[in-house]
Amino acid sequence: MGMQSDFYQLLREQGYVFGVPGQAARGQELTTATTILAFKYRDGVLVAGDRRATAGNMVMYDRTDKVLEIDRHSVMAIAGVPATAYEMGRILEHSFKYYRRTQLQELSFEGKLRALSKLLKDNVPAALAGTGAVAPIFAGYDFGQETAKIYFYDILGAEFEGVDYAVSGSGSPTIRGILHYVNTWGEQPLSAIPEEQATVQALRLLTSAAEFDSATGGVNREAGLYPVIKFITASGVRTMPDAQLKPLFEVKVSRHV
Amino acid sequence: MYEEPYKWVEAVGNRRTYLDEQFTEGAPVVGVTCGRGILLMTMSKGTPKLYEIYDRLALGGMGHPADLEKLRFNLLEMAHVEGFNRSASDVTGSRLVKYGMAPTIKQAFEEVFKAPFIVKILLAELGQKAGKDSFLTINYDGTFEEKSQYAVLAATSAVEQKMAGYLREQSIASLEDAVGAAIRTWVVGDRAQRRVLDDGEGHDEVRAGLDQQATDSETLYAYLQRCIAEKTVECALLDRHVQGPSKYRALGIDELKTMLPKDLSPSLS
Repeated sequence: MGMQSDFYQLLREQGYVFGVPGQAARGQELTTATTILAFKYRDGVLVAGDRRATAGNMVMYDRTDKVLEIDRHSVMAIAGVPATAYEMGRILEHSFKYYRRTQLQELSFEGKLRALSKLLKDNVPAALAGTGAVAPIFAGYDFGQETAKIYFYDILGAEFEGVDYAVSGSGSPTIRGILHYVNTWGEQPLSAIPEEQATVQALRLLTSAAEFDSATGGVNREAGLYPVIKFITASGVRTMPDAQLKPLFEVKVSRHV
Repeated sequence: MYEEPYKWVEAVGNRRTYLDEQFTEGAPVVGVTCGRGILLMTMSKGTPKLYEIYDRLALGGMGHPADLEKLRFNLLEMAHVEGFNRSASDVTGSRLVKYGMAPTIKQAFEEVFKAPFIVKILLAELGQKAGKDSFLTINYDGTFEEKSQYAVLAATSAVEQKMAGYLREQSIASLEDAVGAAIRTWVVGDRAQRRVLDDGEGHDEVRAGLDQQATDSETLYAYLQRCIAEKTVECALLDRHVQGPSKYRALGIDELKTMLPKDLSPSLS
């Protein structure tokens, strides 16, 4: 017998099944979720997501958290079917904890990437049936290389490194172009800008996505709803509180809208 | 041969004697609550004896490393599957012990054709609020006890009582208080175990120059100084102040040094 350290395998041995294909009924609109982005800034990686979940033309929810903290140093941002994405997040969270506690060491960053890839691969039948497509971004601190990194995935589980940035979701085509422009011809590349400036960029990008994509929720100041923005550095994952986002939005974003 | 009841009882009795002997050389474990959370402390030689089990659960053990490892894996498996299928709040020490661990250990102890687990376990659980912390200890025969302020593991219940008696008299508020009290309690326990062992072997006093009855800090730290030469201090904290769901962290040597008397600290490295 070997040392068991694979939580997903353990679940399956106990009869758990993930990624069951099911054909979506005609006319049935599935809930999906929307614009997520990640880019490298001066101190690490910023990951952000809007708060809207939609089903067809219907806004299902405007307080969705699409930037999931998987452990102290990793974040998965989700676009696609939230039911499947949250389940993936829960499996990953428990897998990483289980590995750390059984093996008395952290799972390597490559190991974490592979774990997500494996889940996406098992989810292919559901993704192709139209009931469970998820295209996430995974970002985390790689202690082996002493740097924060960004990876993005297609719905089949292929893994790509976002060297400077990555985007996913229905609003992503809009901001992909902006990111390329800002990063290439801006005053300085994104990787050189400090935290506050990076936050402003993220708010502006998500506001732009919301402008052109009805499935992306912008800032709702009346309800006090701001995007979720998290930073990953060597010291861990930190969330920017709404109290700090509000003044930044009012001064640096809203006047330009 | 064990079909007859009296022979079975005799076999279980022999097993108890055998198991009691296995723990005489083991290192005691101390668990104590403080304002910051729950501190677990022991001295180990090579193999660690303190482990993280779940977000608010930590384990301290005595006994055979392979048995401890097997039960640790069982606990981890139960806790994580339960946490995934239900929620983190449903993973409680009480359920893990009463419906998982204790029956397994008891069964192994009473199946006289098979090997028992040579293990004693202390499970500490950080409550959602201060004052709600709890401990569970399980003996090698599957019997368990629940405690609230502190708990100890040692070779015999007499030694455990002695340690608990010493710990009860300590006033513990801060983490520093807890570290000092836990280490001194450990010495009280280890010294009592040694004495039983030495008496058994006909030795009057192996550790010459030490007053075996004294429980003042200096005498206790002097004893510890000798132990440190061959073992390392192991401290883990279920830290209420840690951000995020996982509250377990090991206390590093540098942190420990700031909490111990200065003349003792250098020998920790």
